[in-house]
Amino acid sequence: MIFTNPIALLLLPLALLPLLLGTQRQEAYPSLAGFEPDGLSVAIAWALRIAGMAAILGLILGIAGIAVRERSVERFGQGAHIVLLIDRSASMNDTFAGRQPSGEEESKSSAAKRLIKDFIVEREHDRFGVAAFSTAPMHVVPITDRKDIVLEAIDAIDRPGLAFTDVGRGLGMGLSMIQEDVLQGSRAIILVSDGVAVIGRRVQEALRAEFARRPVNLYFLYLRTEGANSMFATPPPGAEDTPQALPERHLNKFFQSLRIPYRAYEAESAEAIKAAIADIGKLEQTPLVYTERIPQYDLSRWAYVVAALSLGLLLVAKLCERTIKRAGVIHAA
Amino acid sequence: MTRIGINFDRRLILLLAALTGAIVAIIGIHIIRNQRVADVLAVIDITGSMNTRDMGNPPGSLDRLEAVRQSLIGMMQDIPCQSRLGLGVFSERRSFLLLNPVEICSNYDALEGAISGLDWRMAWQGDSYVAKGLYSALDIAASLKSDLIFFTDGHEAPPLPFTGVPEFEGKPGAVKGLIAGVGGSEKTPIPKFDDEGRQVGVYNQSDVPQENRIGAAPKDAETREGYNPRNAPWGALEAAGDEQLSSVKTAHLQDLASRTGLSYVGLQKAGAIAPKLLSSSEPRIVPISTDMAYVPALFALLSILAVYALQFVERAPMRRSPRPARPL
Repeated sequence: MIFTNPIALLLLPLALLPLLLGTQRQEAYPSLAGFEPDGLSVAIAWALRIAGMAAILGLILGIAGIAVRERSVERFGQGAHIVLLIDRSASMNDTFAGRQPSGEEESKSSAAKRLIKDFIVEREHDRFGVAAFSTAPMHVVPITDRKDIVLEAIDAIDRPGLAFTDVGRGLGMGLSMIQEDVLQGSRAIILVSDGVAVIGRRVQEALRAEFARRPVNLYFLYLRTEGANSMFATPPPGAEDTPQALPERHLNKFFQSLRIPYRAYEAESAEAIKAAIADIGKLEQTPLVYTERIPQYDLSRWAYVVAALSLGLLLVAKLCERTIKRAGVIHAA
Repeated sequence: MTRIGINFDRRLILLLAALTGAIVAIIGIHIIRNQRVADVLAVIDITGSMNTRDMGNPPGSLDRLEAVRQSLIGMMQDIPCQSRLGLGVFSERRSFLLLNPVEICSNYDALEGAISGLDWRMAWQGDSYVAKGLYSALDIAASLKSDLIFFTDGHEAPPLPFTGVPEFEGKPGAVKGLIAGVGGSEKTPIPKFDDEGRQVGVYNQSDVPQENRIGAAPKDAETREGYNPRNAPWGALEAAGDEQLSSVKTAHLQDLASRTGLSYVGLQKAGAIAPKLLSSSEPRIVPISTDMAYVPALFALLSILAVYALQFVERAPMRRSPRPARPL
């Protein structure tokens, strides 16, 4: 229970006034001693006092802005805590065919933006965080249940990007965001990238240790440019099979070796992204305890309703009032 | 006045007034008030010189980036709800948008987390072309139709060429807002970090370019010792200077502010930046509906109290009675 204007509560003692004073006109009568105290009269007298108190109380509480405070309620649902790890290197601004986007074609980043935003809006109970990476990892929005800020962060991903793609440190950033989040629930990182580079030996080891410490579901959405290497293809015999020559394939192998739930998707078009996101959505359906915020609820209107009803009662009593003197003899008080 | 046996006296009129007031309060009176809000993109310089510890009270207790984070969070508390705040960072020669402007009150927690997450490690290159960064921040703010606060110490690295500040090609004043100068006025060493993010001393004179040697050499280069048009167009000597020390470059930032039509504020002196922001940014008015129900409710309260108070005013009809007559 909170009050938006608590200073008005200082008026509360006024609510005692009806105990001492009445609303009815006073009549002169020689002596009341001759009357038997009858139950009905006593009841009516008390009812009027209580109505007067309720009216004053209701008005004061209404003026004080009585309200129920915002609460968080724990609920059960299906969902996950998801970190969206988005590549913001310059090549994300090209189309899937590797060209500058013309009017008809979307760039990879704007296709990803559109579909990820749909995904966020659809997933009611999930909490999202956003991290970006390019040459350096960037912390954008910590894991939160506020959808607007996540959507605004995703809105920024089709801006001109930066130079390189350092997946390893980006993943490190995603993992540290997950570490900071204390709530229970299943955790996932969705890595959206269009090209990969070699993850250095030391960063690989650090990542291995981090992933071993805390189980995280990893989804790798590889936006493949037409003509680029596939991460699933095994090179023909005799071809060079090193991380430098085929970084996609070796990144995939590294993720597979992490012993975490991992899925890779290769998308060459917006439709393929959509299918992959739908698939991720189906997989991330573990039971989850989430908190729902119930906003502050204003009760002042109800306080006024109580006051109005009480005043109505007093008014009825007043209308029933009859003078004991003959009409015309007494002037209205 | 009495009609059909009902006394139309002062009490009845006051009770009717109180009831009317209460009913009006239930219905509510909504007044549309205009509230001045801000819609602002904050772009933060995250280059190396922003790690210099010369901010806070006493000076030196905070590094510049920490001071910026604190001042942004403070600003969020000072500006009215419905204001929107976006975030970007500046490094190298351009600004990079992290987050479109978003309403501050309902997203306070997440925005505070996002601001706290701003780090020099997010920088993608070590250069610090402040003027170019500011111009690109203005472009981004213009595309978002928001105002701009650009937090920087104004320390250009490499130093500006002899030709001075690059020309601003946009329209001055098209985007309104602030340049917030971060840093103390004393020259302070800049901490140096290794690849793992551990501090390894401070920058010394030979670590940083002391003179901009990109492009054409200045006219007076011919008079320098060891000048050779092909082999040593800037002279043979190492450039001397104290670019390894950093202080807030107020004059440079004020010059940039006047070129771009922004206002300048020194963060260390100003303390809170919200008033300055609201006075220098585009006046954005949002209608906010305010419930004025307390006015008729107050009227109703006064009326019902007056009904009770009448008993003091009216003298009891029977003066001789030792006790005043009690209402039935």
